[in-house]
Amino acid sequence: MQTRSVSPRPGVPKPGLGARLHALRMRWIDNSPHFPAMLLVPVLLFFLIWNIVPLLWMVGMSFYNYSLVTGDPPRFIGLANFADLYNNLAVWQALSTTFIFVFFSVGVETLLGLLLGFLFWGSTELPGRRLALTLLFAPMILTPAATGTFFRLIYDPTFGVANYLTSQLFGTKIDFLGDKAWAMASVLLVDIWMWTPFMILITLAALGSVPKAELEAAEVDRLPWIKRIRYVILPHAKFILMLGILLRTIDSFKVMDLIYQLTRGGPGNTTEVIGITLFRKAFEGFTMGWSSSLAVVTLLIAIAFTSIYLYILNLRMEGGER
Amino acid sequence: MQRNWRQTLYHLLLWAVSLTFFAPVIWIILAAFKTRDDLLAIPPKWIFTPTLENFIDLAGRYDFASSLRSSFLISLSAVLIAIVVAFLAAYSFSRFQPKGTNFLMFILLSIRMVPAAAVVVPVFLMYTAFGWKDTFWGMTLFYAMFSIPFSVWILKGFIDGVSPRFDETGLVNGGSRLHVLFNVVLPQVRPGLIAAFIFNLIFVWNEFLFNFIIGGRRTTMVPVSLVTGSISQGGVDWTFVASLATVYLIPPVLAIYFFQKYLLVGMTFGTVRGEV
Repeated sequence: MQTRSVSPRPGVPKPGLGARLHALRMRWIDNSPHFPAMLLVPVLLFFLIWNIVPLLWMVGMSFYNYSLVTGDPPRFIGLANFADLYNNLAVWQALSTTFIFVFFSVGVETLLGLLLGFLFWGSTELPGRRLALTLLFAPMILTPAATGTFFRLIYDPTFGVANYLTSQLFGTKIDFLGDKAWAMASVLLVDIWMWTPFMILITLAALGSVPKAELEAAEVDRLPWIKRIRYVILPHAKFILMLGILLRTIDSFKVMDLIYQLTRGGPGNTTEVIGITLFRKAFEGFTMGWSSSLAVVTLLIAIAFTSIYLYILNLRMEGGER
Repeated sequence: MQRNWRQTLYHLLLWAVSLTFFAPVIWIILAAFKTRDDLLAIPPKWIFTPTLENFIDLAGRYDFASSLRSSFLISLSAVLIAIVVAFLAAYSFSRFQPKGTNFLMFILLSIRMVPAAAVVVPVFLMYTAFGWKDTFWGMTLFYAMFSIPFSVWILKGFIDGVSPRFDETGLVNGGSRLHVLFNVVLPQVRPGLIAAFIFNLIFVWNEFLFNFIIGGRRTTMVPVSLVTGSISQGGVDWTFVASLATVYLIPPVLAIYFFQKYLLVGMTFGTVRGEV
């Protein structure tokens, strides 16, 4: 037969060089006392190249005056960038805008999320539940780059559907993203639309972590709802709720692409959060040294939030609840 | 009978809430099927003759095909690399608990919590200096790093749930360590692998800022196309943006329909487990 002469019979191992090398490698791996460390090498390499190097770069650059516009080599100026940050009114303004944004977005999302989470608690028999939940949770898995676009179409002052509604209801048109009085609220509304589903999800998970037996006992005892929440639900649900709120706070502090796509920080600087300031100074003003110093400060604030999250997560894991 | 009626009302309410949240998305999908005149009509049109013209126009555009291809290739390769790397690390963390395991796990998680706008500056400087800007591997490996923390967290949780007795049995019966790793443990953490795969895919598919800054013409992905498409000179090309957005949102929406039970673990970076 033709085929048999072309390829050797299958199933008969003939140890070639590759196979012998393979066996050698296997033995080396099996006998090495450093096996646990070997498994970590790839992660540590990634960590070194994509985290430690940029981090050091950023910290180093923050002590220099370096602009990509002039083309001059970086000049060491010590802490001058940080001193300038401290005296820069625009930075303080951006920080306060950021905190206002975080406060209102997380606040409203948490309240609405809790409310709707409780509403969806008994939804197990909802016909088409999977589809309904997909539609409900869709906003949070879409990129802000896209959702920002949707809302620019909806908010458009001439042909947007939001303006059509306001002119029908109140007889006036509002330039939602262009009017200083409305821009922040309009941006907040988009963020709330995107992230309330996340708080609903968290609330559902938190409610799901309450043991059924305890709920039934409360039902049998006819415990009033306030007490049921206080003594039965909260003790179990609080960890997940806290983690959710903190995660949302961290994310909300990071907001950048949504606002960039909606208003670019305008009009004026009404929606300019710290992420936008950073982006514009770095990639529109090309002041790399100054931006690095602002990045360092932003990073420190983010680390503060993150450590609270990790602290609570750690508490929960030590408590044995996973 | 009365109870039945109340339940129907309750279910209608739930559906109404869900549809309200989805309404802006529906509006953009409708816009994608409108002609330019219908889209810009005042008052907005709810009823119109749908047209496929926008999609035909979209398919003919060079930047559409290339950004879709980049999106698929980069996100798939980045996530696959990340999962292999993360699986090895998660196994080591779970089974051997080397010194500093907790510290490393937390450092990894905090990477994902850092504001992108702060990190993009040094990454940009580094990529410019090394000449990695607008390269396939520069983009892919960055996104792999971006996907690792969450994958490690989620996989460690799942590997913790596999009894070490399986490993011991495998080793005693003459299996090599790698055999145990890939043929004994790996198949048992399949749900974790799926969750890590799907959600990292969504995150990379969605990422905008880094692709905008350290990508370029050759590595532009869909979100960047959306943003640059919507700031084009002389007014926004709305039919292009709407139809591109519609194509863009199909994979994520399908993903959360089919993998809904992993949504919670996915959205909390593997730190909270449970089902909705």
